[in-house]
Amino acid sequence: MRKTYIGELEEVVLLTVAVLQEEAYGVAIGLYLGRELGRKLSISAIHATLNRLAEKGYVDSHLGGATAERGGRRKRYFKVTTSGSRILTEIQQVRSQLWSQLPPNALAT
Amino acid sequence: MITPPKWMNTPLRMWCKPELLEEIEGDLLEYYGFWIEEYGQRKANRLYAWHALKFLRPFALKKVKSNNSNPINMLQHALLIAFRNFRKHSSSFLINLLGLCSGLTCVLIIYLWVNDELSIDKFHKNDQQLYQVMQNKSSGAGITTVEWTPGLLANALATEMPEVEQAVTVMSATWFPDFALSEKGEEPVKAKGQFAGIGFFQMFSFDLTQGDANQLFLNKNEVVISEDLARQIFNTTENIIGKTLEWKVLEFSGVSTITGICKNVPKNSTQQFDFVLPIEKLYEFIPRFNGRWAASGPDTYLLLAKGTDVSRFNAKISDFLQSKDQEIEASLFVRSYADRYLYGNYENGQLNGGRIAYVKLFSSIAILILFIACINFTNLTTANASRRAKEVGVKKVVGAHRSTLIFQYLIESSLLAFMSLIMAIALVTYLLPGFNSMAGKAIQLHFNTELIIIIFSIALVTGLLAGSYPALYLSRFSPGKILKGQFKTSIIDFWARKGLVTFQFATSIILIIAVLVVYKQTSFIQTANIGFEKDNVIYINNEGASAKNLDTFLAELKNVGGVLNASSTTHIMTGKYMSTDNLRWPAKTNDISFEMIEGNYDLIETLNIPLKEGRSFSRTFGNESDKIIFNERAIEMMGLEDPIGKKIGLFDKECEIIGITKDFHLESFHESIKPAFFVLNSDHARILILKIQSGQEHSTLERLSKFYKSQNPDLPFEYHFLDDNFQKLYVSEQRVSTLTKYFAALACLISCLGLLGLSAFNAERRMKEIGIRKILGSSVLSIVRLISGEFTKIILLANVVALPISYLITKHWLSDFAYRIDLEWWFFAASGLSAILVAWLIVGWQTLKVARINPMVFLRKE
Repeated sequence: MRKTYIGELEEVVLLTVAVLQEEAYGVAIGLYLGRELGRKLSISAIHATLNRLAEKGYVDSHLGGATAERGGRRKRYFKVTTSGSRILTEIQQVRSQLWSQLPPNALAT
Repeated sequence: MITPPKWMNTPLRMWCKPELLEEIEGDLLEYYGFWIEEYGQRKANRLYAWHALKFLRPFALKKVKSNNSNPINMLQHALLIAFRNFRKHSSSFLINLLGLCSGLTCVLIIYLWVNDELSIDKFHKNDQQLYQVMQNKSSGAGITTVEWTPGLLANALATEMPEVEQAVTVMSATWFPDFALSEKGEEPVKAKGQFAGIGFFQMFSFDLTQGDANQLFLNKNEVVISEDLARQIFNTTENIIGKTLEWKVLEFSGVSTITGICKNVPKNSTQQFDFVLPIEKLYEFIPRFNGRWAASGPDTYLLLAKGTDVSRFNAKISDFLQSKDQEIEASLFVRSYADRYLYGNYENGQLNGGRIAYVKLFSSIAILILFIACINFTNLTTANASRRAKEVGVKKVVGAHRSTLIFQYLIESSLLAFMSLIMAIALVTYLLPGFNSMAGKAIQLHFNTELIIIIFSIALVTGLLAGSYPALYLSRFSPGKILKGQFKTSIIDFWARKGLVTFQFATSIILIIAVLVVYKQTSFIQTANIGFEKDNVIYINNEGASAKNLDTFLAELKNVGGVLNASSTTHIMTGKYMSTDNLRWPAKTNDISFEMIEGNYDLIETLNIPLKEGRSFSRTFGNESDKIIFNERAIEMMGLEDPIGKKIGLFDKECEIIGITKDFHLESFHESIKPAFFVLNSDHARILILKIQSGQEHSTLERLSKFYKSQNPDLPFEYHFLDDNFQKLYVSEQRVSTLTKYFAALACLISCLGLLGLSAFNAERRMKEIGIRKILGSSVLSIVRLISGEFTKIILLANVVALPISYLITKHWLSDFAYRIDLEWWFFAASGLSAILVAWLIVGWQTLKVARINPMVFLRKE
């Protein structure tokens, strides 16, 4: 498969989906990013990112049950696909490889 | 659970993909809950709306449905159908084309005219910083605003006010008759000259082709001439710097060295001159302009520093004159130089429009006429809808979308608009020379990018405006009904069409009435009694032999055959006079500004001004220089009883009143009659005024010319008729009168075209009905009456709308004249009736045509 580019925001959102497991849907992702990483993203930005990830085949989604607090509207839950986990691992490997090759004082400024 | 206002979801639903809507709305709602807790309802609402708006992103947007895989093909198809339709319904095509074409022609011409008006005086590089100093003079009668200022003003302002970067004094060429200008010993040429201060050519962009703007006019015996004048005198513009010119005007004359050549003054400049002399030269002849603060004459122009707050500057210079001379009752202010053409009228010290009124008037006429033309198109096309319904039905059944149909009809109307545009451009090119001479312009059709963009957008807007309603209307038809033959025009459309026709006719009626009133007022002005005789009165400049020995010259003039009387005066009877408030009389309470006419013996007789009491100046009473003659208005304003023989103080002497003339008009009928007086003085005689016998003007003028040449071999004989001068006072009224006449005719023509099309359609639509009526025994006449009855109601309604509106408009226009005609009821009755008559004629003719056909011809079809 052709290697698809993944941006930094996409990477963070994809990881969050992985972290949240069964609870990964729009609002939860947004709140988690805000709370844990201090990144305030608008809902539309999250939806847009999730949409891009879905197009690239890194996430899958299904509709959950309706809940009262959402005015009877269903949630769309996201799950990391196999290719999603593969790209995350790849990124991780590239990073650790680079880190391991870093000379001792290279970053000290 | 708290939910945001329902309407807030509506916009989201408009653009969001339906399959994403549920989750997005759900997420937003969840967030809304947090926001309410954190910020309260109001801010939460705002945040909700803001975040919903942020979903205007490509991924969430609805896909615009499109199945036109080949737009070029579609355009081709639309054009083909359009051309076929034009051919098929050639009569309505022609009516539409003619209507739109005349509308566009009118708009184009008015656009060119307005553009030209707006461009006047705007070409100077320093345009944004150029200002003219004005004076508000207060007197008993109110405040008059004048352009003339003391000659001392420019230098004083430039040195004392830091805002003034440069100040220049100009004595405009309009103050003088034409100069006689010549190279030594050559035949003189007549040319317009103005006087200007140092820096004139730096301040204004009358570009020098030779000479140095910074060095000009340091010496007062210099002159700068235009390229045209140089060619006229020397046949070349080369190597003439340093040559000398002799010039002569009124009693002034001089010899000046050419130090500069400037480009010809552009037509869109209000300052018009052929050559410029230094203002210092003028002060040599009229020292008071430069010696006294109380003597105003020339114009003062300022170049203000960039970013000057004009209102603050105006407050600063308001009392400037009093600080120089306490006796002066006038306040100064500046106005933008470029504004002086369009915003030139002041009333009681307040700006009161000017030519801008005509610019606005014609712009609205243009828009109205174009609108009427568009209405025609809309009307005719929707009226013809039944003919095209089948086409729509078939297309829809085959699978055409509504958008495709709308596109097609808009293409059709735009195509028509562009065809009309091409015809209109041809027409404009043909009509422009005539229009120019009528409007006193030199407009040319230059196709630059701006003009092309503008006329194309006008045509496009016209096409869309005219075509949008028919397009929406036609494309709405349901194919099933049409193909089953159940097509029917709805009641609403019928009324909409009637409403539009009413509007059209109301506009036409308003224009007809306006034209009638303008015409009546202009002819009233021209034939009205102005208080003296202006016909067969000619005047010539007092120069040469007559200036040397005035009395002998006048006596000899009277002996020329055909000359009835001759005299001299300071000014011609129209336009600017010397005015003075330096009069003293018993029981004087306030200052009145009088027009002072310094004339010779026989002036009152030459002009045939009737005397009310007393006598005129006469040689039989010895020296009469201490006698004075007032007009009725002056006596009335001074409140003098039994005035003959009373003494009046004028400047520093006592004058005896010997006569009172009836009132006469010195200015246009916009102004009321001014108090005036005559005194005997031939020192300032600038003009010789002659009354000649009517019926033999030509031979008299020939004799006069011969006599003049014998006395003044080096001066050309130039004369003017006094009544021409009066015509000039009303040039703009006359132009408006002629132009509105044409525009009104055009509006009527377009309206009639519309009615013609509509009534033809109506008659055709009701053919079946007419046929049945005829078979059942109706006469042709009763059918015609039946159908024209419907239209009569429309025109009557148009009258009801138009008459009050036109009454208000014409009343407003007339209020501008101090002397005016009364609005008479028959203006309105005649215009309304003529509209009804025209409508009857058109409708009757169309119906008659159908009604006379043998009913079998169209009943057989069924």
